[in-house]
Amino acid sequence: MLKRTLVANRGEIACRILRACKEAGIEGIAVYAANDADTLFTEIADLSVQLVGDGLGETYLNQQQIIDIALANNCDSIHPGFGFLSERADFAQAVMNAGMIWVGPSPAAITKMGDKMTARISMKAAGVPVIPGVEVDGGLEEVLAVAPSVGYPLLLKATAGGGGKGMRAVHAADDLESEAKAAMREALNAFGDDRIYVERLLTGSRHIEIQVLADKFGRTIHLGERECSIQRRHQKVFEESPSVALDSELREAMGEAACSAAMAVNYEGAGTVEFLVTPKGEFFFLEMNTRIQVEHPVTEMVTGVDLVREQLRIAGGEPMSCGPLSMRGHSIEVRLYAEDPSNNFLPAIGQLKRFIAPSGPGVRLDTGVREGDFVTPNYDPMLAKLIVWAPSREEALQRMGRALDEFVILGCTTNVRFLRELCDHPDVVDGWTTTDMIDRLWPDGWTPNLSVMVADAGLLIASACESTNHGKAIATLSSSLEIPSPFSQLSRRYP
Amino acid sequence: MEFKTSGEIQAIEPVRDGLTFAHQGICTHMGGEIWLDLGGRKHKATAVKVGNIWWVHVLGHTLQYELIEPGAVGADDDGGLTAPMPGKILEVMVSVGQSVKSGDALMVMEAMKMEHKIVAGFDGTVESLFFNPGDQVEQGTELISITKSVI
Repeated sequence: MLKRTLVANRGEIACRILRACKEAGIEGIAVYAANDADTLFTEIADLSVQLVGDGLGETYLNQQQIIDIALANNCDSIHPGFGFLSERADFAQAVMNAGMIWVGPSPAAITKMGDKMTARISMKAAGVPVIPGVEVDGGLEEVLAVAPSVGYPLLLKATAGGGGKGMRAVHAADDLESEAKAAMREALNAFGDDRIYVERLLTGSRHIEIQVLADKFGRTIHLGERECSIQRRHQKVFEESPSVALDSELREAMGEAACSAAMAVNYEGAGTVEFLVTPKGEFFFLEMNTRIQVEHPVTEMVTGVDLVREQLRIAGGEPMSCGPLSMRGHSIEVRLYAEDPSNNFLPAIGQLKRFIAPSGPGVRLDTGVREGDFVTPNYDPMLAKLIVWAPSREEALQRMGRALDEFVILGCTTNVRFLRELCDHPDVVDGWTTTDMIDRLWPDGWTPNLSVMVADAGLLIASACESTNHGKAIATLSSSLEIPSPFSQLSRRYP
Repeated sequence: MEFKTSGEIQAIEPVRDGLTFAHQGICTHMGGEIWLDLGGRKHKATAVKVGNIWWVHVLGHTLQYELIEPGAVGADDDGGLTAPMPGKILEVMVSVGQSVKSGDALMVMEAMKMEHKIVAGFDGTVESLFFNPGDQVEQGTELISITKSVI
């Protein structure tokens, strides 16, 4: 069993892991950059150590510094969360070389799955279906040369990629050169590697992924699917489980393919195998994410398995605790971003002057922020994940709509309203969710559906607030009138 | 009272009775909380002022109202294009004196690891460029100035 785990991450996922550590009786150590001082995850940790330096490279991506802190504080393990160093085989190896346990799969498994091109080739060999396309060894000329044979529309992807960075859809030959340059530049900035490859763009398909768990005792299981088709700029915003597109037969076929993919690289811990599913019901391997994922909560809600706790258990050398699984009800997660959905989803910044989260049955909020915190351009603009569970998909959508209506975030522009409108959009209600859905529904960009009544109400409230000096006036009122002097109660006697 | 919301200026003079304000058949009661009254159905609203802007959450919507101080001169768009986010200039596609059409890409900047194109909002001529590739810019910094074509 693990005793003392350093969490090499920040924000929402650091909170999630540190809480799981607490529940498992493991001491959780946080590391944080100076600009993250006093944020929520540093409070939850049993010990928080500041990273020296500026920028990601000197802080959250600084392998040596993180390992030194872990050793100096007698940690026996490191959990990388997602993003940052989570899929860096060299870091996993360095952690193990330093005599600690890496909460994740072996460096060899990370390497095999991390390079998208190598993964394609090894999955082909393992009999897992892959998307028609051409693996090129980088170089602009080579990309330009192979593109015609793949055909349009096509997708340029960073070989070392992930998270939509370095990924570009090209619809016509005229755009190829400029898009390829942009993709290579983004890939170089994000991953330090500008190699890209060319793949057929399967329009109208769904992005469905299978969660797997594997322990050191030879057991590899799948925990059903997550449908993550609704994306903007190739980043997911709305995820659910189960998917309306899968029947039990397809679920089992994909689950089996996912387990084969994991076993082909001797996988250990929690991982996700992503597939594209075409309208005809064919499925193709996209990639395997060798870490816990942002959208893991929907699987937790429908299976009842605590995935992060299982990760800690498996890393500590114990068998996974879950027995035979049965999926129950329906779960949806939305990602709340500090961004302006009516302006091309451009990231936004500001202070969270009000942050009032929804609650009630079947509502879960995973976040790393609280009221008063500042949203800065230093990190990813995701503020929170709101997750609901309900007995049916229809009720889950209704519950998510209600919860989003309750969510008050003032002081920083967010995508809350956009997410709210998704919940009762006919295409979402009917389950016609595809990866190109946002572009298909709002080709000229999204604008909120604002009724005259809401517009009138908002304007009236703004003017009433200004006239009454709302907020400030209340403070004076309550301090001068409503709070009785404690001295007036001094003579009070209770029977 | 005048507010700027979604790029439009809107004026309102509600009927006030104590802490109750009414306009167009809608009523709001101000106190510790803000209660909206829509013909017998009540809804709680939340509002906070940040600088000169009232942020209002009502009926599941988040709206912004910038107070226009009486006598203030409205800022007019003189063709300046500003950085939407703090970030780095990656590429400048135009040069001084070049004529551009509405929708033309002028610059590419990187903010939060994503690339954003700065696009001309109208036809005109590039008057001056304030930055080169590699330069860091703050949010709201003027990047380029364009003289509008006279039709």
